[in-house]
Amino acid sequence: MRCGDFRETYREDMAIFDTSFARWLVAIFLAALVAVPFGASTYWLDVLNRILIAVIAATGLNILTGFTGQISLGNAAFLAVGAYTTAFLAGRWGLPFPLVLPASGIVTALVGMVFGVPSLRLKGLYLAVATLAAHFVVEFTAVHWESVTGGVNGISVPAPKLGPLELSGDRRVYWLALPLAAGMLLFAKNLFRTKVGKAFVAIRDQDISAEVMGVNVFKYKLLSFGVSSFYVGVAGSLLAYQARIISPENFPITVAIDYLGMIIIGGLGSILGSIFGAVFITLLPEVLRLLTGALSGQFPGLIGLFSSLKMGLFGLAIVLFLLFEPDGMAARWHKIKAYWKLYPFSY
Amino acid sequence: MKRTIAMLCLTAAAALGAGSAAAQEIKVGGLFDLTGITSDVGKPYAQGVQDGVAWTNAKGGINGKRIKLVAVDYGYKIPEAVAAYKRLVGDEKVVMINGWGTGDTLALKDFVNGEKIPYFSASFAGDLTDPAKTPYNFFVAPSYSDQLRAWLTWVKADWKDTSRAPKVAFFFGDNAYGKAPMEAGRRFCKENGIELVDEEIVPGNFQDATSQLLNMKAKGADYAYVNVTTTGVSLILRDAKKLGLATKFGSNPYGFSEALPAVAKEVAEGVTGVVPHVPFGENVPGMKALVDFHKANHPNDTHDAMYVRGWSYVLVWSEALRRADKAGNLTGEGVKAAAETLTNFDLGGLTNPITYSPTDHRPSTRTPIYQIKGGKLVKVAEYDMPRRPDWLGL
Repeated sequence: MRCGDFRETYREDMAIFDTSFARWLVAIFLAALVAVPFGASTYWLDVLNRILIAVIAATGLNILTGFTGQISLGNAAFLAVGAYTTAFLAGRWGLPFPLVLPASGIVTALVGMVFGVPSLRLKGLYLAVATLAAHFVVEFTAVHWESVTGGVNGISVPAPKLGPLELSGDRRVYWLALPLAAGMLLFAKNLFRTKVGKAFVAIRDQDISAEVMGVNVFKYKLLSFGVSSFYVGVAGSLLAYQARIISPENFPITVAIDYLGMIIIGGLGSILGSIFGAVFITLLPEVLRLLTGALSGQFPGLIGLFSSLKMGLFGLAIVLFLLFEPDGMAARWHKIKAYWKLYPFSY
Repeated sequence: MKRTIAMLCLTAAAALGAGSAAAQEIKVGGLFDLTGITSDVGKPYAQGVQDGVAWTNAKGGINGKRIKLVAVDYGYKIPEAVAAYKRLVGDEKVVMINGWGTGDTLALKDFVNGEKIPYFSASFAGDLTDPAKTPYNFFVAPSYSDQLRAWLTWVKADWKDTSRAPKVAFFFGDNAYGKAPMEAGRRFCKENGIELVDEEIVPGNFQDATSQLLNMKAKGADYAYVNVTTTGVSLILRDAKKLGLATKFGSNPYGFSEALPAVAKEVAEGVTGVVPHVPFGENVPGMKALVDFHKANHPNDTHDAMYVRGWSYVLVWSEALRRADKAGNLTGEGVKAAAETLTNFDLGGLTNPITYSPTDHRPSTRTPIYQIKGGKLVKVAEYDMPRRPDWLGL
């Protein structure tokens, strides 16, 4: 038990993991994550991959909504752009994944910046509606531009390839998704220690003050849309690689709402919150599925209720979090840590 | 917290891995729609499959081995179907799958053909009949394309006006199922002197078809083929009645069954439809087992042709399993090869005899047309479509 938290240099003060104990915990956690595929079944690997993809996308959305204060309902659309770019580049041109992943991110970033232009004039609900347009434009394009997207039938995506290396199956995709998610989380965490990140936060807190202080609001808002969409695009690319088949049904508006739910439940303006939210929202239906499956012997009608139960619990979780922990799971996590740090002498 | 999650994942994974199959059990995957936009017809079909499996197991199973049906509801969503497929094949190690919709079956076709999993879909899409492209896809009915061709043949026979060709319109859902037979229908109209005047697309889940029907009325269609499920067909019939249309409507096997007159009441009168699997209770030798099972297990339920369809599927693939088991090759490849030995396999009249060969997966081309007369389904015609090579896979 440590009796104090002393920071003697700027370097220590700036550290992300501030104690050696925390660093050890993170190292153990990462090692555990690396070990998971050796024991996990296909089903749980599929769930884990979807969690990693959700973590990346939720972090992207949190950069835009949590850190820069711009509400976006276009996440499902940006996810779709990333996924279809991957389907096209990998399927049609046969490019290897080290090129496809960043290219999908960049294309999505460009599309995101186009739909971010209205943010110059619009705020709050109005911006939300403007980004909603992105959703319907992309959905319409995905359904009707059949030569590229395969229309409603969907399009199949080859396994991620690099020369002779082929990452087919969930186990191998996991090896791709895990380092990518870790790296992108680290980048996002560090982004908010730079001038750009501080400018984002300044815009969120008071855009007029930010402008007065010399932050070019429009430039940084667009940049935020770009960075955020890049994250979502990479997540979309991974989603395409993991699902191997994508169709407009992968990207309904409920996906955008799920992502908003993730960052609200996890914690707006917190990288850790994006992780918590993504894990929670992705696991919620799976746990529910296991429960309804296990209880279906006693209550056969339960399987039919599954989808309505899922929506109901999702709504309930958001309401409860807004009421009791508006800062999300990340804030609660810090409170729990603070409590145990001083336990049993809390005063 | 983080570690706890990881530990939980690990233990759950270990628990799932431990539940391996008993030796005398054959695992078959079931992908059903119980909650999605086609659940109106998906539920009775799923019940038919489940009851068919229970009946087969009671009769001794597959040469003494029990069938274990691992059923999943995927809500007619392609991503859910892909996730369920991975679970069925990766974790449950099923030997084959009894699937459902056109969109998801087409989406999964590369998977099932790569991993050699025989896939009996309730989708009758013509695209699935060419073994050169989809060797592991099967279904138990004439293809959607042959059904539409047969219905158009009936239109020609029904049309008495010699001064002009009949005008036909196609109504279909904006999804793979809706669109599946349309190209075949267009070509058939052109070859046979039927004027295709209009094509109307309805959304997957619609409440009102007035604007599409007004378009169709303006084009003057004498007949219309409605390629959506029962709920959609009854909505269209209701709106057509409201608008006073004289068009004669026809529908596909998922829009036309005993459920249609039950839902649409008097507006269903005179509507024609393709009924490849007989209505429940029809006087055919194969129906006795179904009626007996129904009386013994759930005498108060009502059943329809969808239920008979699910049951027929089990009869066909359980025979393939039986032959594969006898050959000592109860694998995906073995079941496929066994299915391809089925020649004029008789289902006691539940559906026309089924034939698969390594070069042609068109199960049957004989298509019965029924009409609703006095609230009852009455057979009015049956057409045998030729097995033209250029129609294979179309």
